Amino acid sequence: MTERKATVLVVDDERAIQRFLRPSLEENGFSVLEASTGKSALDLAVSRKPDVILLDLSLPDMDGLDVLKRLREWSSAPVIVVSARGQESDKIAGLDRGADDYLTKPFGVEELLARIRVALRHAEGAARDPEPVYEHGDLKIDLTLRRVWLAKKEVRLSPLQYTLLAALVRDAGRVVSQKQLMKELWPEGGSTPEALRILVHQTRHRVEKEPVRPRHLKTEPAVGYRLEAPDE
Amino acid sequence: MSVQGYAVAAAVAALCTAACFALYPFLSLNDLVMVYLVGTLVVALRGRRGPALFSSFLGVLCFNFFFVPPRFTFHVEHSQFVVTFAVMFAVALIISHLAVRARTQAEAAKRAEVVAETERLRSSLLSAVSHELRTPLAAIIGSASTLLQAAQPSRDLLVNIRDEAERLARLVHNLIETTRLESGAALKKEPYPIEDVIGTALERTERLLAGRKVEADLPENLPLVPVDPVLMELVFVNLIENAVRHAPEGPLDIVARERMDFLEVSVADRGPGLKPEELERVFEKFYRASAAPGAGLGLAICKAVVTAHGGTIRAENRPGGGAVFLLTLPRGGAK
Repeated sequence: MTERKATVLVVDDERAIQRFLRPSLEENGFSVLEASTGKSALDLAVSRKPDVILLDLSLPDMDGLDVLKRLREWSSAPVIVVSARGQESDKIAGLDRGADDYLTKPFGVEELLARIRVALRHAEGAARDPEPVYEHGDLKIDLTLRRVWLAKKEVRLSPLQYTLLAALVRDAGRVVSQKQLMKELWPEGGSTPEALRILVHQTRHRVEKEPVRPRHLKTEPAVGYRLEAPDE
Repeated sequence: MSVQGYAVAAAVAALCTAACFALYPFLSLNDLVMVYLVGTLVVALRGRRGPALFSSFLGVLCFNFFFVPPRFTFHVEHSQFVVTFAVMFAVALIISHLAVRARTQAEAAKRAEVVAETERLRSSLLSAVSHELRTPLAAIIGSASTLLQAAQPSRDLLVNIRDEAERLARLVHNLIETTRLESGAALKKEPYPIEDVIGTALERTERLLAGRKVEADLPENLPLVPVDPVLMELVFVNLIENAVRHAPEGPLDIVARERMDFLEVSVADRGPGLKPEELERVFEKFYRASAAPGAGLGLAICKAVVTAHGGTIRAENRPGGGAVFLLTLPRGGAK
């Protein structure tokens, strides 16, 4: 992490949520700004330039998705959208409008911190080249050699399976929507979400020891996929 | 709707006429009348008075035009046919009136039954839900107030608060999804590998499983099945939660097999199994066959979701002990 304390803007109108987020974020080395309306969130984003924005989609004065759209007109600070379960379409809409990731309420602190760290790392990393080697548990992917190992044994992948992994490595730790992945894998179009699901399924059977309980390549139901963040 | 009823009446009249042409060489004119009456009965059974009336009228017209000599005119040679028409029209009217009334009565009876059922469900929902909500809430409030008084924070109590809160979250999620299903919200079905759905359910229940062994036997080349991934995940979460709750020990077995035009998936445990009279009742909404904690909501939702997918679910006892929940999901148009 950087020497300077990273600032998290928490946008949520529920006192109970703010009450637990502030101490747990401060405990973990972040400074915290709070906003309980869309308008104050936009004001604070302008005046204080937070490093990460945690944006609940249900706000009293504005639609959270509109706040996101307004933010994205001038800010590239990572935004993590927070919404309830069963609102997958909101999550997809958030990602489409430039959110970096999402959290589903209710969430635990470990999950929150993991999302924030990944978002910060990607914001920093956007400036420099990505790490050429991804390692997470028993999986190793070398982007320069274009080779993949599972438990030290090299894995043979089809070119498309490799492209999928490489695309996910670039966004490691973050959710990548189905739409984004399809654009990357089939830039000319002409494919289907089914083809993507089959591709992920087959890739999992190459790079996961237990494909039904994936450790690396996770599914985000109805939204997309997430390759776990690399080991520190 | 109403236009459709008249279109059906016209189509039925056309069909009857075609049939009469086929039968004309073999039957007397008066027998042909019967064919039109059957047509009117069919239309009337659909339950609308207007189209039934229209059908009686069309029947007389067609019979007159196509079959009563001189044929292919509306002119009538023998006055006896005027009586035939009157009788035919009257019989058609009576038939349609009776059929429509029977239909309306059946519908009213059905509606009354649904209302009674809804009432019954609502009251049992209330008692089941209040029980299921109160138990974790009591545990949370109890643990939190103990912690507030204690000199030392206790890890056990904190874990208890978190686990019970997670149980509440699952319950609330179940309730929300049930309400959504019952309000007739459409499923967002798309073809998915079942392994993917089971995988997310296993991840969601990782803490609940607490290291319990899960033996999954899912061939790699299973066909995709059209499912609503969020709801189908809920089915497996509930089946896993049910197994963990009722079978304190032993591994869980999850097996999927491709059958003719459906996929068969089973979730099995090595617990005490089910009593014969419970096999059916476990899926009944908000009925708790035994005093087992929490039973009554999760499995009912499994059934509702699977049924909404056009599939089936049933419970059996395993040879060698334990319960198995078997579900089938139609493959639909998916490859």
